[in-house]
Amino acid sequence: MDMHRPAEIILTILFFGLIAGSYLAAQTPPPPVFEQPLLVTSAGQSSGDAQIALQLAKRAALAATLSKTGTGKDLENQKTLVLVLGASMKGLGSAGLDTNKEKERIRELVAEAKKKNIPILAMHLGGGQRRGELTDEIINEFLPAAKMAIILKSGNQDGLFTKICKAKDIPLIEVDKSLDAVEPLKKIFKR
Amino acid sequence: MREADAIHPGPALTAARSLSDYFPSLKGTPGDTPVYVYAGATEGGNVLIIGGTHPNEPAGFVTSVMLIENIRAVRGKIVIVPQANASGFTHSDPQEGSPQRFPIATAAGQRWFRLGSRVTNPIHQWPDPTIYVNPTGQTLAGIEARNLNRAYPGKAGGNLTEKVAFGIMELIKKERIDLGIDLHESAPEYPVINAIVFHENSADLAATAQMELQAEGFEFRLEASPPNLRGLSHREWGDVAGIRAILMETPNASHGRLKGKPSVELIIDGKDKFYEKAARLGRLFVPFGPDGIPLKNRVARHLAGLKAVLSGLKELDPGKAVEVEDLPPADRVRVEGIGAFLR
Repeated sequence: MDMHRPAEIILTILFFGLIAGSYLAAQTPPPPVFEQPLLVTSAGQSSGDAQIALQLAKRAALAATLSKTGTGKDLENQKTLVLVLGASMKGLGSAGLDTNKEKERIRELVAEAKKKNIPILAMHLGGGQRRGELTDEIINEFLPAAKMAIILKSGNQDGLFTKICKAKDIPLIEVDKSLDAVEPLKKIFKR
Repeated sequence: MREADAIHPGPALTAARSLSDYFPSLKGTPGDTPVYVYAGATEGGNVLIIGGTHPNEPAGFVTSVMLIENIRAVRGKIVIVPQANASGFTHSDPQEGSPQRFPIATAAGQRWFRLGSRVTNPIHQWPDPTIYVNPTGQTLAGIEARNLNRAYPGKAGGNLTEKVAFGIMELIKKERIDLGIDLHESAPEYPVINAIVFHENSADLAATAQMELQAEGFEFRLEASPPNLRGLSHREWGDVAGIRAILMETPNASHGRLKGKPSVELIIDGKDKFYEKAARLGRLFVPFGPDGIPLKNRVARHLAGLKAVLSGLKELDPGKAVEVEDLPPADRVRVEGIGAFLR
């Protein structure tokens, strides 16, 4: 009989248990930190992505309102600001905004949220297709203001979100598909 | 190009009509076009599916034909116009050297489909104005006077293209359509591609469909219809007719500006070395590798998109649900090809 085998088995179980535990810890959202109701707006006028965020919030049974061009005034009675990061030239043109005006709008919104102590949840739901120079400018400027971020993995292939979130100590939840964001949303909002 | 494409409706066809049945002024003109109706036994919503708005975008036309030859409505009603701009199918774009038709092999033999032009045949509508003022009052380049997707909501006494647009608006009214879906293709260098374009009244539907499609492995961009871009189906169907409006785009190298030699192979196999190079240089809005983007995959995208939109409609507005059976499954079309689902 091989006397080493039980020890090897225990070590193997411990090893894989540790890996599985770390993986689950990385995927398990932190306890609820956000409150309802929430205001959803796109940072960059990717209105389709903002609409997806709204539908996800509805599936998570959250009280959410979408505002295409929301300002600080729209934060009245809101308890969370959801910034859906992503630039769309078509969306900007459609909203009658240029890049600078859109950034000014988001700066004012973020400043007002800070003043009112309203936490920001950042989302990026366009994946790799919704990355690019302008979107990256928006991510770099506004992601650091977030208390937490939920993103599609396919939009983080270069690790930009990981890098910013690590530097700013922002919990980052990565999902494979938009629908996978429903469960984390349920968990991070207080009922 | 004078010979009409053969379409063989499946046994579940409820009624075969013409656009002139809804707008008699089109009777006997090159703008008249077939309309196929599939009604279920159970009450539900009414959905309009349009192909061939731009006859040089074959995936929309071929998808519509596959629906006509396969589906059975169980609940609600589906109305299909496979060649919305029938005149556009009677010519090709000058100086493009595009093939006039392309073959698809089926169990019953080879079928041919026409590849037309983006716009109405100038023999049927001439001359183009210097500046076109469309029915909404928007000014456009003169050639757009023959573009069906700039002519909505149409004009009863307008030019032929505007009359066709008006006929489609009459169909929407008389068939009490709840949701209109316009099937298109776009060039790989155009940003609105692999996309669902939605009227703001359909934002929830588009987002719901997009999430379902993503879960099934199809990435679709969502693009809102700009309120100030007038005359398009996804704008005027929503604004004027008050119905939900969706337009879908797949990537078609054969009508892009960067393509090499226009050929039947380019339409069907979708391979092009110049597009490959453009993709490597980061100039495209879709991945484009040596395998190209074949017609069967583009048709499969439209079929997956239609299924997801119908499923979204059922979820968001159960009273207007439309249920169909025998919709060719996208995964099987990608593997078995288009011909496996044609009569």
